[in-house]
Amino acid sequence: MTCYSFYIFDRHTECIYSKLWARQDRPLSAGIDPSSIPASNGGAQSDLGPARARPARLSAQDDAKLIFGTIFSLRNMVRKLGGPDDRYIHTYAHTTGNGPRKWEKMLIQRNSFISYRTGQYKLHYYETPTSIKFVMLTDTQTLNMRNVLHQIYVNLYVEFVVKNPLSPVEHPGGVGVANELFELALDQFVKGVL
Amino acid sequence: MEQLCDNSLGWSVVSQNKMVVYALIIINKAGGLVYQRDFAEGLNKLSINDYLVLAGTFHGIHAISTRLNPLLPNDTPSTTSRPLPPSGIEVLETENFRLQCFQTLTGTKFLLFTEPQQPNIENIMGMIYGLYADYVMKNPFYSLEMPVRCEGWERRLVREVRAVNSR
Repeated sequence: MTCYSFYIFDRHTECIYSKLWARQDRPLSAGIDPSSIPASNGGAQSDLGPARARPARLSAQDDAKLIFGTIFSLRNMVRKLGGPDDRYIHTYAHTTGNGPRKWEKMLIQRNSFISYRTGQYKLHYYETPTSIKFVMLTDTQTLNMRNVLHQIYVNLYVEFVVKNPLSPVEHPGGVGVANELFELALDQFVKGVL
Repeated sequence: MEQLCDNSLGWSVVSQNKMVVYALIIINKAGGLVYQRDFAEGLNKLSINDYLVLAGTFHGIHAISTRLNPLLPNDTPSTTSRPLPPSGIEVLETENFRLQCFQTLTGTKFLLFTEPQQPNIENIMGMIYGLYADYVMKNPFYSLEMPVRCEGWERRLVREVRAVNSR
């Protein structure tokens, strides 16, 4: 099992954290000298002409945007198609405030989209009720990682980002998310799980 | 009493092994919806417009998912064979259903909606693809890339899927 990358998107659709693992490991394991890659890369593209005209790689930012678009569309599609009980979870929340205490029905949109798999990788998805989205790309053999993403949210994100008194409430541009403790704990957690 | 217990156990085993195919959607290589049919309750009914939108959306997402490949493409230049292009979405898992996508070499996509835990979807997909080849592609009155309206295909498909569903 290998974990390739991990992304967090906030409720304003912005990618507030991304981490890539193992992307550079593959040429080494395939037995190719890393120094020869740029040369062979350029050669292959000019040799094979228009059939391989697609650009080699996207930048990490573009990757994050594409991933967000994908999960957003898939989530809406799944929500639309899912059975009649998919739309909401009915929970009862204890209202706070000055008025008389009573139970009130709360409607939370439930997210039934779990993961998708292609021939090359598998994308796992978890969304919190505050619509922070956690996405992880792993190899295709990995089983369900939703609970792992939930653990990352509960044990790492809440502990080290939300409870950090110095971090802002929102994280425009990823401010406050990529602090040292969070990064270290995430790295250890992912290495421990896989 | 013992018999009752046995019965209830038997029922639960049967209901777990029961296979349910909810729906089939066929998308042509341009992203247009050419066929849609529900076989069992379990998915929301959408309007035909929504199905068209869904087909187009899935077509786009499928294309994007090939570009998200986190692995480096194999850059060793080989003169003999071109490496297989990265495949798009093959299986989509949700809490309510499982979506298996099969793309033919010509770009037609078969989307099969089944129960979340259903095994042997490949077999069902192969069977449906065979029927499609026999009853749609070999139908001289079928025009390519257009909506599928073939009586024989419809009849055989419903019969086969019903057999799967009641197995």
